[in-house]
Amino acid sequence: MDLGRLTTAVLACLCLRGPALAEAPGAAAAGNSAEFVARFCVECHQGSEAESGLDFADQVTLAKLAEQPAEWRKVAQRVADGEMPPIQSDQPDAASREQFVLFVRGKLHEAACEDGITPGPMPLRRLNRNEFAATIRDLLGIQVDVSQGLPADGAGGEGFDNAAETLFISPLHAEKYLEAAHTALEHALQEPRTRERLLIATPAGDKSPQQAAREVLAAFLPRAFRRAVADAELTEYLELFDVAYQQDESYVEAVRLALEAALVSPHFIFLLERPNAEPTVQPLGDYELAARLSYFLWGSMPDEELFQLAGARKLNDPDVLRGQVERMLAGGEQSGRRGRGANRVRGFAQNFIEQWLGTRALGREFKPDASAVRRYDSELEGGLKYEPVLFFEEILTENRSLLELIDADYTYANRRLAQHYGIKGEFREQPRRVELEAGSHRGGLLSMGAVLAVSSYPHRTSPVLRGKWILETILGTPPPPPPPNVPPLAEKSADGEQPTTLRERLERHRQDIACAGCHSRMDPLGFGLENYDVVGRWRTELDGQPVDARGTLPDGTEFEGPEQLKKLLLSRKELVIQNLTRRMLGYALARQLTAEDDCVIEEIVAELQKSDYKSHTLVMGIVTSVPFRLQAARPESPQP
Amino acid sequence: MGVQANRISRRTLLRGAGAALALPWLEAMATPAQAASAPPLPKRFAAMFMPNGVRTDMWTPDGEGRDFSLSPSLEPLASRRDDLLVLTQLWNQASNVGDGHYVKTSGFLTCTTINKSLGIDLNCNGVSLDQLIAEKTGQYTPLPSLELAMEPVSIGVDRNVGYTRVYGSHIAWKGPTMPLAREINPQLVYERLLRAARPHSAGQPRQRLLLDRVLGDARQLRDRVGVGDRQRLDEYLQSVRSLEERLDRAAAAGGNAWSPLMSIVDTDAPGDAPNGHAERVRMMLDMIVLAFRSDTTRVSTFMFGNAVSGQNFSFLEGVTGSHHDTSHHQNDAEKLRQYQLINRWHVEQYAYLLNQLSAAREGDGSVLDNSVILFGSGLRDGNSHSPRNLPILVGGRAGGRLATGQHRIYSRDTPLANLYLSLLDALDIPAERFADSTERLAGVLVS
Repeated sequence: MDLGRLTTAVLACLCLRGPALAEAPGAAAAGNSAEFVARFCVECHQGSEAESGLDFADQVTLAKLAEQPAEWRKVAQRVADGEMPPIQSDQPDAASREQFVLFVRGKLHEAACEDGITPGPMPLRRLNRNEFAATIRDLLGIQVDVSQGLPADGAGGEGFDNAAETLFISPLHAEKYLEAAHTALEHALQEPRTRERLLIATPAGDKSPQQAAREVLAAFLPRAFRRAVADAELTEYLELFDVAYQQDESYVEAVRLALEAALVSPHFIFLLERPNAEPTVQPLGDYELAARLSYFLWGSMPDEELFQLAGARKLNDPDVLRGQVERMLAGGEQSGRRGRGANRVRGFAQNFIEQWLGTRALGREFKPDASAVRRYDSELEGGLKYEPVLFFEEILTENRSLLELIDADYTYANRRLAQHYGIKGEFREQPRRVELEAGSHRGGLLSMGAVLAVSSYPHRTSPVLRGKWILETILGTPPPPPPPNVPPLAEKSADGEQPTTLRERLERHRQDIACAGCHSRMDPLGFGLENYDVVGRWRTELDGQPVDARGTLPDGTEFEGPEQLKKLLLSRKELVIQNLTRRMLGYALARQLTAEDDCVIEEIVAELQKSDYKSHTLVMGIVTSVPFRLQAARPESPQP
Repeated sequence: MGVQANRISRRTLLRGAGAALALPWLEAMATPAQAASAPPLPKRFAAMFMPNGVRTDMWTPDGEGRDFSLSPSLEPLASRRDDLLVLTQLWNQASNVGDGHYVKTSGFLTCTTINKSLGIDLNCNGVSLDQLIAEKTGQYTPLPSLELAMEPVSIGVDRNVGYTRVYGSHIAWKGPTMPLAREINPQLVYERLLRAARPHSAGQPRQRLLLDRVLGDARQLRDRVGVGDRQRLDEYLQSVRSLEERLDRAAAAGGNAWSPLMSIVDTDAPGDAPNGHAERVRMMLDMIVLAFRSDTTRVSTFMFGNAVSGQNFSFLEGVTGSHHDTSHHQNDAEKLRQYQLINRWHVEQYAYLLNQLSAAREGDGSVLDNSVILFGSGLRDGNSHSPRNLPILVGGRAGGRLATGQHRIYSRDTPLANLYLSLLDALDIPAERFADSTERLAGVLVS
């Protein structure tokens, strides 16, 4: 047991270090790592009987690391997680373990970036529920959300529900798609405005029903399938129309059936990219690029302008591409449009930030307990939920510094949220921008009620959870899981004296070596936010005692309260920005990132440093990156 | 949808007056001769998954065999004691790795170890018990199985332990890489059951035309994409084809066409969207009863919550916290007290389902008599996450095959898969083995 605890303490050392990007492993480290393998791994992993088929003595060696990235990544992960060497074996000390992991990861990174960046895989993926709803809305011009019946999607990769790997298909899906398509077309054909948009032709005079249907489908199918449609495909849909039309001679019903089929077709449901037929890396097709752009920045289908540029094969032109990104990111005023379409970038702002921060859970998985919040209603919840969304939307549309995510002098609030925060002024149910005065205790994500809530328990705040949230979400350095059979948080101290506060109990907890490693990192960060209650209201007293928001980091850095905590995080802005870049790249590529993608992150972070961390630099860096814009070479076909 | 109910619902009647008043016309009309020549009644299977374990000192009953007294946690099952098997010392060895929750959830009905993954190579390495059953029974009903839950798929990936939360949100796996989507809205479940049970609509030939077109598109695409993507397209093909099969089944010639054992009527619809967790759970359980009574499906799974569920239970008198937090009781007396209230509430819901199925008469007995309703959690004590000595209950008699009314205590670390193997026997779907099963579980089948 003592051995187990020791291991955990050792592991904990790994938890505030960033990923080992760009660390050049020295010769000494190489020597030590070889020794590490020889001492801790080879005994079980050698020869033909090697555990897991990994023969470290002969086959899987550090010298061949560059050719065996998959194996070595797994090795580094298992050693970092403390799963290897197994608990009953001889254990390395903390420093050697950390050094070994950093060495292997550094080498892997070097190897991945050495030959230049190559695009990763781009698996076939279906539209997720939000994308499906937004696409139907834009395609048909209806204002109805038809996705309610669709099952929610899980997340994969970098933590987003657009990850191809986890967008499964169940038998349930086709049924739900069919139902949604049916309802959507019912709405679209009911309202004159949208009906005219769809039924651009009707049989009349010398125009036969078939000719009219051809016109309708020739206009509709390319938009639904997000590409040019071949004549043969059009004919197939016309045949469907024909058969239906012959049954009862109702033109509208027959057209409707063909449209409905298109909305359930895999051409609509899936984001399809033609496989690269060339043995070399190729630019993505223009239509495919348009779709990647629009699903990244709008969460929906390309608009007319993108379609036209794709049709004219201009989208791969770097200047055109940049111009389009600027246009797509622009808010309502700049683009001169009004209404719903004007804020399409909100689709991105919301999908990205709510999943990155975990605030989507508010009102769903996370509901504050009545004992912790006196007045909690839907207007307050709306204000809380939209604050980070609108805030991030402004950072995106106004090309503001991404560091404002940590600290800013403005936010967004509605009437109830302004009351909740104690901000004076005229507010309504719709949130608006508000300049923050000094001493408002607001500004930046960490002071937002939604963030503070989802990093709390429903009935009380938790410095541990909030600290963990900062490590994982903001710094990208999640702590390892707690050890099995974790010793309980001591309710009584050794001499029988009853500790009075959570802080005292957590301090005792940290005296346990098994807990200290990670808790000495998590807890102080979380204590910095103790002035905020479960839903983010400012408080100066807790359980009859003044709030103690002091924290001391393992390196001895002392701070107090949210303002100093923010300064502390800004002093680690490289880590913050690197993590944000990773998450956004993962969202944009809609898949789990690979080792090669790490090289892209590094490049984009370097660009951001040069441009004062402007949001457009990040988006542009992603859009013009190799994995976003290019297609991997055709895999070599196996020899017969 | 026109589901507003003005009449008193069948459920209300059932609750109020017991079984006698609620006889569907089938039993009421059947003469003994007809009953004798009728085909055997279908057997059903449902699994109820409760996240976050149980309070150990309140779970296991005293006594063994037929001579046992219900524990505090199991008291709500008093009226179903004779329909119940309480099983002690079963464990799920394959889930004794990885992390505290995800492995124990996805592996609950598969008895396999899932891949540690954020998405790529997501694999449960098995097929869940319910789906193994549905493979056989699905051909006889409009819906092969019904997957229900209370919470949407949990958000994000858990970087802390390195698993996507998809794992913690699924117990039903049709294949190693195919978790089944769950429905969480009782109204939508009802509408789906209704549609499935009344497929004779005017739109049917048209729907077939549409499906043909969609299948055509999918087949063409299949030849154009890479090997990896083909699997996804196949999943979609399968999904579309299942709709076609349903149409086929409804239109099958002569006596082969499916017909409901009991018609689904408007009054079976759940009431207006309730907000409370307790009401919604009841409505979901009612949907399982409805699906089984009507024979719309014979297999269902239900998740009271996802792994690590933070469902707030302050709606229970005396509870202030969320489920997962409370389950980490750290032997604190107050937390233990609340944990027990939450545990017991779950058992009450299970008892409600058993009672409803028991009140639903068919043939000479009840739907419960022809069912196997599993209840359990993937870990024992929420504070320590061990998959040893799991809390496992089986309700119903599988048409008389299960030796209910017993508390069986097995030797330490008896595979949970042994139980599953025996349940397959009870459901007339015998198998050589199930996952890591070593033998059939002694004493659960009528010898």
